[in-house]
Amino acid sequence: MTLDKEILTEFVEIVGKENIDDGEVMTNAYAYNWCMDLFNHMESKPAIPFSPIPKAVVLPSSTEEVAQIVKICNKYGIKFKAQSTGLGPWNQPSTENSIIIDLRRMNKIVKIDEKNLYAVVEPYVSGAQLQAEIMKYGLNCHMPGAGPQVSPLASATSMNGPGFTSPSTGHSARNVLGVEWVLPDGEIMRLGSRGLKNNRNWYNGDGPGPSLRGIMRGWAGAKSGIGVFTRVAVKLFPYPCSTKFKLKGCSPNYDFDIPDFMRVYVIDCGTFKYCEKAMLRVEEEEISFMCSHLSGFAVMAIFATSIEDLMDKMAIGSMKVPLVVIIAARTTREFEYKQKVMSMILDEMQLTNIIGSLYTPNPIFYAEALRSNLGLHGFIATGGFQSTKGVCDTAAICLRSEQKNIPLKKKYIKTGAIANDFGEGHWMTSYESGHYFHVEAPTMFDQTEQSSVEGMADYMEASNQMDLLKHLGAPFFVEGDKMHETFGPHMMNYHKWLRKIKQAFDPNDIADSGFYISRKEK
Amino acid sequence: MDMYNFHPYSGGGKIILALLLEMGRINPSDELRDIVYKCTECGACAISCKFLNTLEPLEIIMKLREKLVDAGCGPMPKQQEYIDSVKNKNNPYNEPHEKRLDWLPEGIKLDPNAKVLYYVGCTSSYRREEMAIASVRIMNEAQVPFTILGDDEFCCGSPVLRTGDTKTFQEFLNKNLDMIESKGIETVVFSCAGCYDTFKVDYPLYRKYNFRVLHVVEFFDELLESGQLKLINEVPLTVTYHDPCHLGRNAEPYEEWEGDVVDLMPLVSINMPPKPKKTGAKGIYDAPREILKKIPGLKLIEMERIREYSYCCGAGAGVKSAFPEFALNTAKTRVQEAEDTGAKILTSACPFCSTNLQDAIKDRGSKLKFYDINELLLMALGLETKSLKKKMAEVA
Repeated sequence: MTLDKEILTEFVEIVGKENIDDGEVMTNAYAYNWCMDLFNHMESKPAIPFSPIPKAVVLPSSTEEVAQIVKICNKYGIKFKAQSTGLGPWNQPSTENSIIIDLRRMNKIVKIDEKNLYAVVEPYVSGAQLQAEIMKYGLNCHMPGAGPQVSPLASATSMNGPGFTSPSTGHSARNVLGVEWVLPDGEIMRLGSRGLKNNRNWYNGDGPGPSLRGIMRGWAGAKSGIGVFTRVAVKLFPYPCSTKFKLKGCSPNYDFDIPDFMRVYVIDCGTFKYCEKAMLRVEEEEISFMCSHLSGFAVMAIFATSIEDLMDKMAIGSMKVPLVVIIAARTTREFEYKQKVMSMILDEMQLTNIIGSLYTPNPIFYAEALRSNLGLHGFIATGGFQSTKGVCDTAAICLRSEQKNIPLKKKYIKTGAIANDFGEGHWMTSYESGHYFHVEAPTMFDQTEQSSVEGMADYMEASNQMDLLKHLGAPFFVEGDKMHETFGPHMMNYHKWLRKIKQAFDPNDIADSGFYISRKEK
Repeated sequence: MDMYNFHPYSGGGKIILALLLEMGRINPSDELRDIVYKCTECGACAISCKFLNTLEPLEIIMKLREKLVDAGCGPMPKQQEYIDSVKNKNNPYNEPHEKRLDWLPEGIKLDPNAKVLYYVGCTSSYRREEMAIASVRIMNEAQVPFTILGDDEFCCGSPVLRTGDTKTFQEFLNKNLDMIESKGIETVVFSCAGCYDTFKVDYPLYRKYNFRVLHVVEFFDELLESGQLKLINEVPLTVTYHDPCHLGRNAEPYEEWEGDVVDLMPLVSINMPPKPKKTGAKGIYDAPREILKKIPGLKLIEMERIREYSYCCGAGAGVKSAFPEFALNTAKTRVQEAEDTGAKILTSACPFCSTNLQDAIKDRGSKLKFYDINELLLMALGLETKSLKKKMAEVA
């Protein structure tokens, strides 16, 4: 399906002919995305990595251009799907009556307010780019688990947003301040202090009047189903340790001087119950930069930079219930204090840090931890991975979710559809010093094998069903009508309220809701 | 990617295009050709893909072009003119083959029995003669016996290979290797980074040979180290150096790997022994910098993006001929980076970079001056340089 010439001309008038393309090759290329095959299979469609083909791809350069594009979509009844750094099927249209608004020309760091600890970014600024700039001020940002290559704006407004540094940098939903938002009808809305008549600044996400942060993104974001976010302020944090470190060598063999005041602990807690106790204890002391429980296999993966390298680490892979803690500090005194507290906890609980005795990580690990690059290690073994679970709850519920999932995972490992991580491949992190927790089950599969793709999708479906039946909370991929209508009735009918939001904000049903919720119940 | 923004212009986007083509979701077309050929094959995407994974987008881009040529859909018309010229006249510039030696100044000592061959290349022979002239003068100054092939030298095949015509490329590869091997040459020296990369990295993929290949920056640095070249003149210039892709990241040869792919468990296999990754780190980065550092009075200031992360000049893989505006805009970005260092001189070691960067300097009205690294070396050796630059030139 191509655009009518008349409509194309109207888009061209907004962005110029060099910034819109409705060619067959271009639109087909934009139909691809990582893991689209899984979600197609779960929707009973052929397990191919392509979504419906958009009618055209438009590259706006400003909020005003986005608003004009959206208004034209409303005028002609064409849906839009916005994407920024574009990782994953959530960026894909669900209908061929859709255009893609690719926001990659909106790539500016608008403002760094080092005194009030926030930065204002456009959609195509990556976490890595933002981090590199704010480091100059001794600051850091929250980076989602997807890695430093993705958009902080997308995570803050439209996705879930846990990350490896969540104990110290929180959750994307909690880090968003002022927002500039093009609503599905093309009106420009400014949230928080950005909406004030006087002092239109970005420092506050709430008000004037009632806060709309919950409506804007809720827990998991609307994935462009409620409009387009064009600028956002995100909280910044003091950089966890010294920023004066040296990185030498070249990819992939970097040599990194471990910065002053940084130390990693890897502890085998032995049982899930004891892991819960240890995690709560560490987090209670508010000393961790990173505090994650991973499986033995996953600990091997975060320390490895290749599959061959991974297999060298079987000694740490045999740990039963590992806990990985990184402490970081800005002064000798702070560092000594945190180390003393960790020693006290380990003594109290009769636990041992294997780092330095059983295993010594390559210094690049510390750089990757600071960069929040560890999630990408999930690709090492088979070239493809995806997660299930994603509940946000207490440590006990998260660990229960993990324990319940192990037999299910083993069942699919036996079929050969997913790679063998002994069923234990999970990642659990605390948020904000243990106030709540997140767990997910990263699972490796082979994107080039049809049987593996289909098997992985079947496993994801089964995992979702288990979450529902065993009351383990909603997975973070609770998105689209099917999932919302499955989970909603078991979770205070939240889906009905979500639908009301959609109806109120998108009167003409123009924002593509394939990964949100549609206006009408199906 | 910087110039066209849409995702298919990136390395990752090209991999998607290859998948679409393989799955039959798209067919060869003018639209596909236009996207695939708007790429300088600079290899920066391939370097970025080496951390944690083993993707080879540059190889996929080259295969895509090969497929388009095989389907009768590539290369771009202007590039086809160059290929036709290579086939008919042994050079892409439609110049008479018998004039290949016209650049050679009087008084240069050649030794037909020498074991060192200076392979001039088409661009240095016909368009950037100053690079060839400087090279032979320096070799004479060092009293290195060397020879050149003259009429027996043919296009190395780089412009043909990079635009996807691998069959014609192999013809020229064989012609050149047959000729060089017949003369018992032990070392071949290049002033053209494109020829050097093609001989060093691409030729062995098709046919192995037993001679050593060196770019002049490597060769001359060896001569400086051994004392055969002595730098006597102060060159009080502030200089920044641009790493050519063909001499830098793309000049890292493939390492031979003989091993097994061992299945560890379903879906997981490893290479035993580990397979070396081509990361670009083993390109030629130190030799040109060593030369510049040895020049008395010269101050080297680095740009932000250098070595394997260097930004491309924009001229490679047929872009300068087929998409001159793209090439020029890319070069202007690089010239701006050079200006930002505060240097007065921009230097490099490739005739394509030389032409394109000089075009950008002119177009931007930049105050920078461009010298080939050999010209700076000539100055330091106290040799005459004024007659070197004759004209601004086109490159293939």
